[in-house]
Amino acid sequence: MMVTKSHARMRLNDTLSLTYGALRGAPTRTGLMLLAMAIGVAAVVVLTSLGEGARRYISDEFTSLGTNLLIVLPGRSETSGDMATLLMSDTTRDLTLDDARALMRSRYIRRLSPINVGSSQLSWRERSRDISVFGATHDLLAIHHWKMAQGRFLPLVEMDRATPVCVIGARLSSELFGNRPPVGEWVRLGERRFRVIGVLATKGRTVGIDVEEIVVIPVASAQALFNEASLFRIIIEARDRDAIRHASAFIKTTLRKRHQGEEDITLITQDAVLATFDKIFQSLTFTVAGIAAISLAVAGILVMNVMLVSVSQRTAEIGLLKALGASQRQIVTLFLWEAAMLSFAGACIGLLIGLGGSWLIGYLFPAITMGAPLWAVVAAVGVALLTGLLFGVMPARRAARLNPVLALVHHR
Amino acid sequence: MLIKDLIKLTSCAVIAQRMRSFLTSLGIAIGVAAVVLLTSIGDGMQRFVMAEFTQFGTNLIAINPGKTTTHGASIGIYGTERPLTIDDAAALEKLRDVEAVVPLVQGNAEVESTHRQRRTTVYGISGDMPHAYRVEVALGRYFINEDPSTPRAVAVLGSKLRSELFGSRNPLEQRIRIGGERYRIIGVFAPKGQILGVDLDDAVYIPAARAQEMFNRDSLVEIDLLYRETADVDEVVASIARLLSARHGRDDVTITTQQQMLDVLGSVLAILTFAVAALGSISLLVGSVGIFTIMTIAVNERTSEIGLLRALGGKRQQVMAIFLGEAIILATLGGLLGLVIGVGGAQLLTLLFPALPVHISWNYLIAAETLAIVIGVIAGVWPARRAAKLNPVDALRSE
Amino acid sequence: MIQLQQIHRIFKVGDQQVHALNDLSLTINGGEYLSIMGPSGSGKSTLLNLIGLLDQPTSGEYTFNNQKVTTLSDDQKAVLRRDQIGFIFQFFHLVPRLTAIENIELPMVLAGIPSTERRTRVSRILDAVGLAERAHHKPEQLSGGQQQRVAIARATIMQPSVLLADEPTGNLDSASGNDVVEILEALNQQGITLIIVTHDAALGARAMREIKMIDGRIIDDGHQKPR
Repeated sequence: MMVTKSHARMRLNDTLSLTYGALRGAPTRTGLMLLAMAIGVAAVVVLTSLGEGARRYISDEFTSLGTNLLIVLPGRSETSGDMATLLMSDTTRDLTLDDARALMRSRYIRRLSPINVGSSQLSWRERSRDISVFGATHDLLAIHHWKMAQGRFLPLVEMDRATPVCVIGARLSSELFGNRPPVGEWVRLGERRFRVIGVLATKGRTVGIDVEEIVVIPVASAQALFNEASLFRIIIEARDRDAIRHASAFIKTTLRKRHQGEEDITLITQDAVLATFDKIFQSLTFTVAGIAAISLAVAGILVMNVMLVSVSQRTAEIGLLKALGASQRQIVTLFLWEAAMLSFAGACIGLLIGLGGSWLIGYLFPAITMGAPLWAVVAAVGVALLTGLLFGVMPARRAARLNPVLALVHHR
Repeated sequence: MLIKDLIKLTSCAVIAQRMRSFLTSLGIAIGVAAVVLLTSIGDGMQRFVMAEFTQFGTNLIAINPGKTTTHGASIGIYGTERPLTIDDAAALEKLRDVEAVVPLVQGNAEVESTHRQRRTTVYGISGDMPHAYRVEVALGRYFINEDPSTPRAVAVLGSKLRSELFGSRNPLEQRIRIGGERYRIIGVFAPKGQILGVDLDDAVYIPAARAQEMFNRDSLVEIDLLYRETADVDEVVASIARLLSARHGRDDVTITTQQQMLDVLGSVLAILTFAVAALGSISLLVGSVGIFTIMTIAVNERTSEIGLLRALGGKRQQVMAIFLGEAIILATLGGLLGLVIGVGGAQLLTLLFPALPVHISWNYLIAAETLAIVIGVIAGVWPARRAAKLNPVDALRSE
Repeated sequence: MIQLQQIHRIFKVGDQQVHALNDLSLTINGGEYLSIMGPSGSGKSTLLNLIGLLDQPTSGEYTFNNQKVTTLSDDQKAVLRRDQIGFIFQFFHLVPRLTAIENIELPMVLAGIPSTERRTRVSRILDAVGLAERAHHKPEQLSGGQQQRVAIARATIMQPSVLLADEPTGNLDSASGNDVVEILEALNQQGITLIIVTHDAALGARAMREIKMIDGRIIDDGHQKPR
């Protein structure tokens, strides 16, 4: 048994050098097959890293909102966690400042801020601008991990104190005041006057809100400004991740009690929203990768086609190998190695192109953190190799079954 | 050379290498099938969404409080300094070319009949609503425009809410409680179905002023306005803007025409479909590499034949035509095969998932086939040129 | 009808120049039967390719049917080849996937002659070469002699004025080789100029004019010997 085995096996490096020679012999053809494989793999890599980048972008957006967040919206929606409820305000019973205050009692809740939102015109001397106004409290700064560039945030006072102070976004500050220090200046919001006490340093956006272009005023002032007793939402930060569950139970029971036994609020946990987005983007990435992977199958077919051509062109060579004592198995091995080397080399080139492309996109659009997920890279190379081998089987078997006499005669 | 002979010569070469030709075409076929299938789904989606939107008609205008801010979306709906009011709506009715005006207040409330209760959406609207939204009253009547300052406590049910609350019993003139207040049912709407996830049948409709009282607000969420079809949209929009600016002292509303919305939506969906088609075309690209490879091999293998053709008096462009023709035939056949697979796959999808909107569009079929042929030309040009440029003496000598 | 004056043909092989034809002048009249002989590398195939307008002289003047052809465009030469010159090769050069008829038709296909006319012409010529019953066979189903007769039919289908044969019997047994030569000679009798390149002294001796070449020069132009 040992004897047959040692006869049936070729040394690996001999196999490789034979295969390599065969591939080198037809450089155009080899190059084209590499190209085909590379396109497929590169497509998978670039597209999945785009999908992954989009997913990370969204999840970064959400974590930049703060961590361990819960959001209470007025009105009940059966499908909590979907975007529609985030955007629509349908109210039965108002969510009030007293509701917010009642929630502060839980030990699971670290801090919270009631929120009112509206748009108004901000003016200082002759300059004015339409902006978004946030009514909030002192704690919002910590909840959103915002930073101050100048001055301070809203003072720590009772929620229902309507002090005429405001904090403005950085771009707003420079547009309105230029290089002049804004802190201490009086501005007008609609018909009311507010004193600027700080400028937000935070750059960028927090879930669709351009932080650089907002004005934050005490929530009680916002209610007065917009003549609106109801809150837009309450943003709550739980003590830690484990506390989210307890906190949400507490919020539900407390508000039900306060609202005459009716559960008329919608509670969104950040985790739930994130999970939904994650799921959407993951399946999107999968779909896109799948579509791109179709091209790998096409590349596989091309490999098979060219290998078949190569078998018929190398009939004489195969006949010679057989005459020299090569077994069918050895010939199959040779051809399969050829297919494997082709697809592997193609996959590697594709990987390089794909990673390069991803890097380029990331470089051109810094907002997207590109980066192909590991599974996609492994899958792309794996699928390339697999299709190469799978489509290599038929030509290899055809080569192995050639009649050595005919194979030799075939050569003119 | 006669076209007929060219086709015969080239197809002869394609047939002579059956397996090779089949595999080459298959590469293109898979790409075309992917494009056809993906665009069918994309197009189906697009049609589905557009149909959902046009259920309301196309000559609607929505007016929302708040000016669209610099970063796109209007966040003004959460309360502005000067809210839209029922008086604004009444004033809009007097404008030229305005057929119907619907003030809209929206909220959730508990609705109770004698036996059952259900939490549902409450719409505060006006008597113009059925006309503007194209809904039919199935049973009873609808509240006619009444004095907005003293609206009666009457309600019209959506068809689903009616069956939830009353089953098959006649709900007309029954009393229900909405958010704790008593209302009399005067009518039931015919089913309208879901529109983009919003179920208009699972709702109750009451006069707008009543809804404002119930939800304790003075403002409207939106005013919808139906204009005469013959009217010029821009003029209508301008007159609305003028009127509301005059009433509010400044321009603080956002006016969106249905047509704008449809246009934006349509172009977004078209871009999506196109993007998906582009994804599918990656396979076509690989398929074209396949044609290129096989044609290069064919030129190599048939070098002496090329020499012969030249010796027999074939011009360079005739040699080129023969090889280019082969590439085009491969691509065309592959394209046709792909169309068959793609259309079959689309049919299969509709059979397996009837809910999935699939629409096979002739435009995309023709585009896919054209693309396949163009790919054949592009992939075939280089090998064919190489064939044409061969030196006949060297070509004849090669064996 | 064929006039070559001071023809040079120089190939570049690597850095070296090979003088394949060296100051060669030759005049061939219409209807001649000519053989070109010489060892391999003597330039006889180059000369044949040049006469057949497949190759271009490096310098010198070539007049074909009173027309200077050295300045003709590629396409013009292709048309001349198609209409005036017939080629016969050692390895037949039949297109393997086409039948005998289709192979014979090829020049007419390239010339754009409609199929009805092609059919009458092909059937006439098939009778002439004695292959009427093998008309629909592919080359692989034909013997070497039959293949070469198909090639001759293809070369003469356009009724050329010159027939160029490069070792026409080189790949045939003597019997079928003889058949082929007889057909070619019969065509010559009908007025076609016949030029045969060969190693075979016996075949070369059958021609009325024997040319011997060495190193790209004609060393012996045994003029018109009586037959």
